Amino acid sequence: MNIVGIAACTVGIAHTYIAQEKLENAAKKAGHEIAIETQGTIGTENELTAEQIADAHVVILAIDVKISNRERFEGKRIIEVPTEVAVKSPNKLIEKVEKIFEQSNQEREGK
Amino acid sequence: MEIDNIVDLETIKTNMHAKSKDDALKELAELLLQNEYISDINGFMTDIYEREAEGQTGIGNYIAIPHGKSNFVKEIGVAIGINEEEIPWETLDGNGVKGVILFAVGNDNEGSQNHLKLLSLFARKLGNDEVVEKLLQSKNPEDVKEAFGQ
Repeated sequence: MNIVGIAACTVGIAHTYIAQEKLENAAKKAGHEIAIETQGTIGTENELTAEQIADAHVVILAIDVKISNRERFEGKRIIEVPTEVAVKSPNKLIEKVEKIFEQSNQEREGK
Repeated sequence: MEIDNIVDLETIKTNMHAKSKDDALKELAELLLQNEYISDINGFMTDIYEREAEGQTGIGNYIAIPHGKSNFVKEIGVAIGINEEEIPWETLDGNGVKGVILFAVGNDNEGSQNHLKLLSLFARKLGNDEVVEKLLQSKNPEDVKEAFGQ
């Protein structure tokens, strides 16, 4: 599965980057491709490319604040959680993302 | 650019015996003051507590990351404390805290992009279980620095 996402916390100094690291590690461990953009005090880093977004099956938004350029994900399957969910239980979050992905595929096939 | 540059041996304290969050924060803020990262302890602490009030800074795995932006910060930096006993703290996993990483960041970061970048790379390391495990076992400041060097 290809995952893209954004991490952004209130102060933009710590949780943003911890969430990024945890999500990337959890997704890779489960065998997925992942790219997480961070929007913090320093600004946007690891900015997602249009191609990465187009190829993504799922978008994870681990955010506590309003993010910029959210419209890039229009029409995508988006899972939004506070950063602390990504920090606390990244593996569970990835499992949940996998389930949502499978379910929506089944629904699509059922039609 | 090396993360090493953000980890200052002078602002690391191991074998700490803080009994409370307030003790730990004061002890670490004192280090920041002595090494000229901040200009005033009380002012800085007020800003840190403002962030504490917004939500848990205990990220689980016995680690807390108190932080906030403060006008009393002269230079971006971190103070790191490794406490012998668990300190009661609001945490995501309900456990106490043994490793406290106090971030000092100013409100005006014009010209500090390099330091902010380093700080973000440093914060990222705290999301890595191996780094955290090594950090908590540190017996001296050099061990702490080595933990982040991984």
